[in-house]
Amino acid sequence: MKSILETKGLTKKFGTLTAVNGIDLQVKEGEIFGFLGPNGAGKTTTISMLTTLVKPTSGTALVADYDLVKDASYVRSIIGVVPQSFSLFPELTAEENLEYIGKLYGMKSSVIRERITQLLKTVALYEHRNRISGAFSSGMKQRLSIAASIMSNPKVLFMDEPTTGLDPQSRIAIRELTKSLNKSGITIFYTTHDMEEAEKLCNRIAIMDKGNIIALGTSAEIKQMVKVDHTVEVELENPSKEIVSELRKMPFVSSVHQDNKILNIKVTQKEKIFFRLSDFFSRKKQKVLEIKVKEHSLEDIFIHLTKKDLRD
Amino acid sequence: MEHKNHLTKEKIVDVKKLGAIIQKNFTVIIRDKSRIIPLILFPVFMILIFGYTSGNTPKHIPTAIIPYDNSPLSQKIQQEISNSQILTVKRILSTEGEGRKLLDTGKIKVLVEIPPNLGQKIENGEQAGIIVIVDESDSSVATTAKQALISITSGLSKDISTEKIANFQKSVDLASQKLQDYSSQYVNKYALIFSKAKNAESSLDEADKKISQQASSIENSLDAPSPVVAREVKPNESSSFNQTYLPETPAYLAAKGQAASLRQSSALIQDAKENVHSAGTISREEDEKINSIQSYQFQKNNVAEPVNKIKDFTDYGAGSLLKPLTYEEKPAYGTGKRNIDFLIPSIIALTIFQGAVMGMGRAVAGEKKDGSLTRVFLTPTSNVTIILGTLLFYIVFEIFRSSFLILLAMNLFQIKIEGSLIAVFLVVVIYAGVSTAIGMLLSSIVKSEQQYMAMSMLVSMPTVFLGGAFFPVQAMPKFLQAVAAFLPVTYAGDALRGVMIKGFSLITISYEIFILMLFLALTVGAVFLVFKRDIE
Repeated sequence: MKSILETKGLTKKFGTLTAVNGIDLQVKEGEIFGFLGPNGAGKTTTISMLTTLVKPTSGTALVADYDLVKDASYVRSIIGVVPQSFSLFPELTAEENLEYIGKLYGMKSSVIRERITQLLKTVALYEHRNRISGAFSSGMKQRLSIAASIMSNPKVLFMDEPTTGLDPQSRIAIRELTKSLNKSGITIFYTTHDMEEAEKLCNRIAIMDKGNIIALGTSAEIKQMVKVDHTVEVELENPSKEIVSELRKMPFVSSVHQDNKILNIKVTQKEKIFFRLSDFFSRKKQKVLEIKVKEHSLEDIFIHLTKKDLRD
Repeated sequence: MEHKNHLTKEKIVDVKKLGAIIQKNFTVIIRDKSRIIPLILFPVFMILIFGYTSGNTPKHIPTAIIPYDNSPLSQKIQQEISNSQILTVKRILSTEGEGRKLLDTGKIKVLVEIPPNLGQKIENGEQAGIIVIVDESDSSVATTAKQALISITSGLSKDISTEKIANFQKSVDLASQKLQDYSSQYVNKYALIFSKAKNAESSLDEADKKISQQASSIENSLDAPSPVVAREVKPNESSSFNQTYLPETPAYLAAKGQAASLRQSSALIQDAKENVHSAGTISREEDEKINSIQSYQFQKNNVAEPVNKIKDFTDYGAGSLLKPLTYEEKPAYGTGKRNIDFLIPSIIALTIFQGAVMGMGRAVAGEKKDGSLTRVFLTPTSNVTIILGTLLFYIVFEIFRSSFLILLAMNLFQIKIEGSLIAVFLVVVIYAGVSTAIGMLLSSIVKSEQQYMAMSMLVSMPTVFLGGAFFPVQAMPKFLQAVAAFLPVTYAGDALRGVMIKGFSLITISYEIFILMLFLALTVGAVFLVFKRDIE
């Protein structure tokens, strides 16, 4: 598939601080591209560069083959951005906000009218079209923000943590909206903290840390890329101390943590683990109540990759 | 188990907690630079402005004099004005027209006219005075200038009236002296004549006595027992003569004749004495008459001057004596201009600026902060369009706002616009543009509305205090006046005052318009340079 967004050595420095350190990205047309990373990783700076708000210090980026810096104005006309904060005019009604944005995109009044009706229905705000947007709930504001960002029918939609701070219902609504927008042909560049969300929503994911892309691929690819211990939860009827210490001596076990009857066993290999463990416990005459092999979550990978430490 | 913890019980006043609160506030305040700037700068500025404006009165107010009169008094007046610390004579003119032109252009603030024959009129005891035209645009400058001139005229007036009263006193003194001299002179003469007559009278008396004595002694000796000279007794003679009966010898007869002639002389002297006495009396009476006649004549001659002066005073009123030199004001522009008339243009200029600057905080910095400007940046809309759109709106908004203000002032305070409304609006439009651009410039530099508020103080404070609406710029030290020269409000205020009060045409205010246009070009240019799309 053709890539609609491509960066080469994209770098942004603020004084001595390198916020984005020469990243190379390709976003394919029609995909939902997840962009993950802890706070301060450089995600927002990257998005700001990709949306022409910040000029890169070096490197290039093309959106639909147009250069971000040289053809900034054209790029603006083919992208849409849902910023982190509300960023609309709270004094204006839903309709007035969209009308203003439409005019700034240079759209014709008749087209604007049609598009507003269509979009407000899409984001389920049509009934609230004449209300002052400042009085909207967070979820409504975010939906209006999405509507504003797709007024011009963009090719690429950048969504900067669109579900942060929303209640579960709103989050689901936004996700559904994102999916349907993607289905309608918009490539989506989706930033989030929520690994589960990224896993569910995104075709491919990039993980950024300290200005660098540290992982890129589908969630399955990323999980495979990373060698992380798997966790097996075993519930025994009567676990003894000897069992725990013997278990620790086994070659594929890296650690064992006991919590009453439950043993949390970290293993380096997932293959045949069920068989190996049940064999071990039957030899030791232990009655096994339950064995659960936990799947790697993207969160584990993320924590593993970004080394758990708290970020600024 | 009882719940225990290391927390202390809550007290009404907890010194340690007080300390913590104080420390926290201190840290917060020193870290918040946008609060520190106004906190420190504002009072410094206030002290500076108030200190310089309330302590000082305006000095060296540019003044022109039109001396139609060239009397010593006129020169004295000019001298006094030149010596004044408050007024500085810039020009000596020959016509009022020239003076009014200079007033219009603001080159002078005060025009003093010394009317023809001022000196002569004062000399004649009439009340006359200088005519003063003051540019009322700056009420405190105008008041100070007027006070200075009033004090000069009343000072001179006092000198003149003191001199006049002194002269009057002198002539009255002289008159009374002369009167005294004169009267004493005549009284002396009268006394002399009188005493001389008296002397003559007593001399005659003396002579009479002596003659009578002589006559008596001769007569006695004739009748004595052994007379020196015997006489002949006649039968019809009195008894006394009969007692000493002596024969009438020739000697006796001669002595008798001598005595008789002495008696005759005595009688003649008595007559003379009588005559001398009456002559003395007559001369005294005559002298008294002459005296009274002559003293009346003296009055006519010597007291006439003070009498005439008194007549002058009664003719021209007491004022001419007490306040011979007067101070008269002529309105500079139209009639009946009040303080409010001069204040309104300044207030309009000030509110346009304040309004524009306040609005721009939300317009750029606020929208930048809340992201709505970012949303605009995300659209294919050029900076020029964004800047011009914002500027144009606020300019139009300011036009409506100031129109409302002008209408309000016109209705509430009966403000009349002397000049053309078009000129007023041209100034309003340009100045609104300058103010908006300044606001936008600051708004583009800062990162938030709060920072903007702090920054805008830097421009709004000098504008409020040095704009001349509340404090006279003339009274400020040179460096503050220099600051005022860099403030657009100075020119906008001058131009608006010129048109609204003085009825200036666009040509007259072309200098102010030019400067304002220059400001507009510079500030808008600066906005284009500073206004960045980069969100950092």
